[in-house]
Amino acid sequence: MPSEQELQIQISPIVQESLVHNSRTLYNLQSITASLFGVSAGILGLESYAGFVFYVALSLLTSVLFYVLRVAPTSLASGKSPLDTSRYFRGAYDFWAGGLMNGFAGFVLTWTLFYGLVTA
Amino acid sequence: MAQVPVQTIHRDPQLFYWILFPITIVMILTGVLRHYATVLMASAPKKQDQKTTREQRSLLHGINVRGNYHVLSKPSLTTRRDALITAYESGAYLKNPDGRGQPPPNPMSDPSAMEGMMGMMKNQMAMIIPNTLIMSWINAFFSGYVIMKLPFPLTIKFKSMLQAGVATRDMDPRWMSSISWYFLCIFGLQSVFNFLLGSENAASQMAQQMNQMGPQGAGQMFGPGVDPNKQFLAEAENLAVIEHHSVLDGVEQRLLAGIKV
Amino acid sequence: MAPPILNSPIQLSPAAALALSQQAPAFLRSSPSTVSSSPLGTLFSGPEKSEQWLQYENLIVSCLRTGDDQAAHQCLQRLVVRFGDDNERVQAIRGLVKEAEAQGNGALEEVLNEYNQILNENDANIPIAKRRVALLRSMGRLSDAASALVQLLDFSPTDAEAWSELSDIYLSQGLYPQAIYAMEEVLVLAPNAWNVCSPTKAPNLSPMLMHPSQIHARLGELQYMAATAPGVANGLYQKYMAEAVKRFSRSIELCDDYLRGYYDLKLVSKRLLNDGTKATRPTDDSEFALPDTKTIERLNELATAKLSEIVRRSAASDRGWRGYNEAEIAATRELLADDASAIKR
Repeated sequence: MPSEQELQIQISPIVQESLVHNSRTLYNLQSITASLFGVSAGILGLESYAGFVFYVALSLLTSVLFYVLRVAPTSLASGKSPLDTSRYFRGAYDFWAGGLMNGFAGFVLTWTLFYGLVTA
Repeated sequence: MAQVPVQTIHRDPQLFYWILFPITIVMILTGVLRHYATVLMASAPKKQDQKTTREQRSLLHGINVRGNYHVLSKPSLTTRRDALITAYESGAYLKNPDGRGQPPPNPMSDPSAMEGMMGMMKNQMAMIIPNTLIMSWINAFFSGYVIMKLPFPLTIKFKSMLQAGVATRDMDPRWMSSISWYFLCIFGLQSVFNFLLGSENAASQMAQQMNQMGPQGAGQMFGPGVDPNKQFLAEAENLAVIEHHSVLDGVEQRLLAGIKV
Repeated sequence: MAPPILNSPIQLSPAAALALSQQAPAFLRSSPSTVSSSPLGTLFSGPEKSEQWLQYENLIVSCLRTGDDQAAHQCLQRLVVRFGDDNERVQAIRGLVKEAEAQGNGALEEVLNEYNQILNENDANIPIAKRRVALLRSMGRLSDAASALVQLLDFSPTDAEAWSELSDIYLSQGLYPQAIYAMEEVLVLAPNAWNVCSPTKAPNLSPMLMHPSQIHARLGELQYMAATAPGVANGLYQKYMAEAVKRFSRSIELCDDYLRGYYDLKLVSKRLLNDGTKATRPTDDSEFALPDTKTIERLNELATAKLSEIVRRSAASDRGWRGYNEAEIAATRELLADDASAIKR
């Protein structure tokens, strides 16, 4: 007999295409917002830790906004607990912290570029 | 510790127009070009004759049955399983049933295998050639310029990387030369390509690395040098050990418990 | 939700198909007539999208349905320009256009001969093989169609579409066990897709496209039909009915406002209650047993309650309750009315 978890997946299957679509949407959002954060950090002229804190705070804010605006209405209605994204995404870690990893390179690039342009 | 005075270097603003922007624009254009080059070079999927298709899809069929047996009732699973196992073991689906037990042909001598490798080579080339070209271009034209200051401090270890070609011992490692801007671009332009070319573009190297991992699994399955007969026998064994259960077991109770009108 | 032009046109009502095909001239005007395959050209005209070609395909089908042959030919022309004459899918679409324009059986025979010729040259040309099956079927040669399909499935056993078509052909021949087998095969290949089903509604147009309906429910319907066919032994009857109940329950479990699933469940549970046959334990432990009478009653109540809710809400066209098929709603109303009058008596 399969384990409890396998049985659960067989009973309520995960549609692979939707999952891929969801994570791709999230990824696009993350990389574009990260670049924009880089632009604003550069224009504000933030340096060293201030810039990184700015980035971390804003990308967490993006995740929260994404959750509140897009995920929460249907997710809470279907009886999930608050901050539970399992209706649309597989891992909670990917949703909340994945943006930090995905967008980091883009952030550094645009930050450096605009910092250089503005303070030159 | 005494506060180290902030280094300031007066740079010609023309540096931006003649170094920074050209590098960035060239990087972006190369990415776009690489995307289209890969699209053009992608060889059309090769036509397979009926027997090859049959061999591969029969195996896939078995895998599907094994993966999704839980939607079937027990009698229907048993009939399918018995039929598949018999056919697999007798080699009924093989492309050439006479060739059973012989060692698989050398992948190097098989033309279809060579083609697969050529495809991979082409992709690798599309990655490597532009990168080396651009790097030597930058080295030839722009080496030795300090163009920008990073907005965050770095340790001294990064100095040799960021200031390649600038032999100044006391300069703050935050200053970067043109070649390090190139490296930043390689990693950071991902999102720009995402924006320009759609998310499935071939320009982004990350995606390409992912791709290389993905289809390799599928490619390996029917790849050269794999004996289909052995695959069939292994699959027959896998099918034989299935212990049946069904999603239909107790579905009425689940339904009555779960749905509120 | 994708725009209507991206969905398979088979599921459209005649009116919607007409509306779609009337968009054809505008669509043809708005998209560039030739797509240059040079990289420079695509740089300026924007990336070519794969949906675009799907749109052409769907447009062709809608246009043929509504008799706008000229627009269909234009679309076909563009597909040929892009993919070349030898592309298997383009060949199949050209065949479809020819079939639709053929006058009388002689012309159809000619198209069939063409298909045979193409298949002689390349016997792994699956789109053409499927068109051939569809043509044979629409010419009324059911057993030929079935054997051609079986041949196709022998070398391509992972084709869910073909299996579902085979199931449909067997069903129309009254071969229930075979139809059930083929439908089970669809389920194994696409256990989570709920939109693969054979398009009984549109026999003349590309029957290989899909119709939205859950496979579980469809399979249950097949079981139900097999059970209620005349001359079925009691043991077999119970086995089929038991699985039908389970399939319908499963289809509702997967999609909890699926009208057809509830309708089927209601139908089958009502019949079981009317029969009043005692559920005998199956001789073999491996087979599904009918649930006890109490469970059936509760299932019946559940289905009745949900059905009346759907009928009520969709009549009031509440938000989120639209989109049910008119005909299905009407049938449901009839079933419920039937039920109510039976109670009064």
